[in-house]
Amino acid sequence: MSDQIILQLKGISKQFPGVKALDNVSLDVRKGEVHVLLGENGAGKSTLMKILSGVYKKDSGKIFLDGKEVEINSVNDAENLGIGIIHQEFNLLPHRDIAQNIFLGKEPTKRGPLGVKVLDKATMYSKCNELLKTVGIDLDSRILVKDLGIAQKQMVEIAKALSLANLKILIMDEPTATLTKGEIDKLFSIIRKYKSMGISIIYISHRMEEIQVIGDRVTVLRDGKYIGTVPVKETPPSELIRMMVGREITNLYKRDYNEPGPEALKVCNLSSRGKFKDVNFSVRRGEIVGFYGLVGAGRTEVAKAIFGEDKYDAGEILINGKKVKHHMPSQAVQNKMGLLPEDRRDEGLITKMLLKQNVVQASLRKVFPKGILNNKVESQIATKYITKLNIATPDENVVVASLSGGNQQKVVLAKWLLTDSEVLIFDEPTRGIDVGAKAEIYELMNDLAKSGKAIMMISSDLPEVIGLSDRIYVMYQGKIVAEFSHENASQERIVNFAIGRGDTL
Amino acid sequence: MTYAKIIKQLKKLPGIIYGLVIIIAFFGVTADYFLTFMNMMNILKQASVLIVVSLGMTLAILLGKIDMSVGSTMSLVGVVTGICLHKGISIPLAICIGMAVGSIIGFINGYLIGYRKFDYWIVTFSNMGIAQSLALVITNGATIPGFDSSFRFLGDGQIYGVPVGILIAMAIALAIIYLSYNTKFGSNIYAVGGNEQVARYSGIDTSKVIFKTYILSSLLAGFAGILLVSKVNSANPIAGSGYEFDAIAATLIGGTPFDGGRGGVLGTIIGACIIATLRNGLNMLGLTPPIQFTLVGFIIILIIIFDVLNEKYKAKKGGAANEA
Ligand SMILES: Nc1ncnc2c1ncn2[C@@H]1O[C@H](COP(=O)(O)OP(=O)(O)OP(=O)(O)O)[C@@H](O)[C@H]1O
Ligand SMILES: [Mg+2]
Repeated sequence: MSDQIILQLKGISKQFPGVKALDNVSLDVRKGEVHVLLGENGAGKSTLMKILSGVYKKDSGKIFLDGKEVEINSVNDAENLGIGIIHQEFNLLPHRDIAQNIFLGKEPTKRGPLGVKVLDKATMYSKCNELLKTVGIDLDSRILVKDLGIAQKQMVEIAKALSLANLKILIMDEPTATLTKGEIDKLFSIIRKYKSMGISIIYISHRMEEIQVIGDRVTVLRDGKYIGTVPVKETPPSELIRMMVGREITNLYKRDYNEPGPEALKVCNLSSRGKFKDVNFSVRRGEIVGFYGLVGAGRTEVAKAIFGEDKYDAGEILINGKKVKHHMPSQAVQNKMGLLPEDRRDEGLITKMLLKQNVVQASLRKVFPKGILNNKVESQIATKYITKLNIATPDENVVVASLSGGNQQKVVLAKWLLTDSEVLIFDEPTRGIDVGAKAEIYELMNDLAKSGKAIMMISSDLPEVIGLSDRIYVMYQGKIVAEFSHENASQERIVNFAIGRGDTL
Repeated sequence: MTYAKIIKQLKKLPGIIYGLVIIIAFFGVTADYFLTFMNMMNILKQASVLIVVSLGMTLAILLGKIDMSVGSTMSLVGVVTGICLHKGISIPLAICIGMAVGSIIGFINGYLIGYRKFDYWIVTFSNMGIAQSLALVITNGATIPGFDSSFRFLGDGQIYGVPVGILIAMAIALAIIYLSYNTKFGSNIYAVGGNEQVARYSGIDTSKVIFKTYILSSLLAGFAGILLVSKVNSANPIAGSGYEFDAIAATLIGGTPFDGGRGGVLGTIIGACIIATLRNGLNMLGLTPPIQFTLVGFIIILIIIFDVLNEKYKAKKGGAANEA
């Protein structure tokens, strides 16, 4: 890393209807550094990066690359300047293959019959195979994206960003949110490699521990404003958090362990061919039960089966000691169950609808027993939850799609809090959520447990699982392979079980 | 390579080709004269018109949208060309004028949907009505009869016993297959249909892709209209009505679902053949058009059920969670 500044953003502002997303923000990026962009949900990180990559147009401000002022008016402009981006949300076409996705919009061409420009597929696939090798994915470039796992999709996104010919700046907007430990290590080694080639990386993540490992300098944004830039090595995490949220967070995981009540959810020998087998567990009132495992270990599948979204082949589910069989989620909701799905954009929210409509979505019968909706009541309820969960939004009348990722998650949470569910399944509750909001969500979960709810929490964030759970189940390849109480949970043992090595102590 | 793609598509086809074979066998047994050379050629002539218009519809559906105006564009282009021919304008020029008029419909569709972000249902529905009434107004509702044999050669002629119409349709089909699998434009259509935001974020000018696709769709519809006039030797202002239904059916039967971004024109060609065969055979059995519509609808449902079951089966077979 040198001190040479390659990219400079000066006084960037951007106004969305009702929100000043960026207010006079500046950023210097050095050649070959990993520059971390830190900020709460809705701080404006993605917006700034979308401006830099040509997706949004800035209202004012200047961008300098290599000392020269540049105009970025389109994605193509940015790509021609060597600026590549991995967006926060997946940007892949499920029904096209890996190569088609990676080269989307910049397919190699050649002269075909009659001199027309046609796709040069031979070049495309061979280049793609090469690229996949550099990224370290062992996949055929003709596989359709829909047949890939989440982590594999993310690796394809990474390969897509790296496919730019003259890459200078690589933006990664929460690239690790869906990756597991091993894949994150792989990603970091790729980052180090590109760094050594003099490519600068702008890295966004809510995982504080990653910043220490991979970051060189950190720029903090808060409420669309520039707070400061500091070197990682000389700044303790607590200081970063203070810059980011404007207050001290001393204890992230706060948990009052109480004597749990009777069993609220019991699952006996649940099996679904090809997904999971002989799953046995229980969740008692007042308990938070953590489920840890690699992506694909079958945790989400179990949750979906319990919730009536997926079918299962054998086994029993008991709620409050009563046998139930949910053929569809609506039955589960009637039995006072709630599910916060891992994929909030596709499964948790109707993103085209308003915030307030989403909040009342699962409780229409409770809120409007006569079956007639009332705008005012919707607004009242939504406003209450906006305050309670500290959702960053101009008001309750915005479409959910316009909220930042973390705030969308809070809307899902509001929706299920409103239902008065007794059994709540949280699938990756804090994925993509900033520390401040995380602390708030943990506190809420603690309160929910204290008030006697039974909580099943699926999470790939090990500190979170250990810090929050009464008990922990570890899943591996569709089976529960270990159970820990919170007293004897050790990070190392849990990971060993999760990767199939068992107890190797 | 094209080859691999076509083979891959062909591998997906057997289901539908099977359907075509079953249908031919069924009528061969039940309807006299169905399996005659004459009748087979008739079916191919009928299919050629439908193939051409369905190709455009398929592109619109691949885009995640639809083009309801193709049927009346056929009618409009047909009568405009017919009027020109009767005025003594040369055949190539008459065809060009007809196609130019047709492309105006596509231009309006493409501009409003692509650049102004209007709803594609509303726009193409409106244009369906507008093109239809234009065709009726300029003809006063009357059919324009009788054309030169040189013009009729297009839709009715034969080369070594093979209908010229089907040769033209095949040539166009090949061009569109090539376009959709081997050009950037084709790939962009799939991208826009798969997810417009992803396409935009990848630097694709989605408005332009939509615009061009709708123009292409109306050009194809217009040409189908001309083939139809040539085939039946008259330009009827409502000749094309109902073709939008058949074109959608051919697309769906051919394995291109409404959600866009997947499927392809290859299947549509077979889908069009199935429908042409079905209509011909049902006619021979003396069944009226209303019943034909019912049966076509029924067959679409059957095929979709088959498709869903097939997908489920496949999903079950390879259902294990995948972890890298
Ligand atoms: N397209 C849009 N229309 C309207 N408002 C938007 C749009 N995109 C973002 N915003 C708003 O701009 C602000 C900044 O959002 P942005 O997505 O940049 O946050 P972020 O820092 O990336 O947050 P997160 O960590 O949750 O991803 C938020 O208040 C958000 O609601
Ligand atoms: Mg963001």
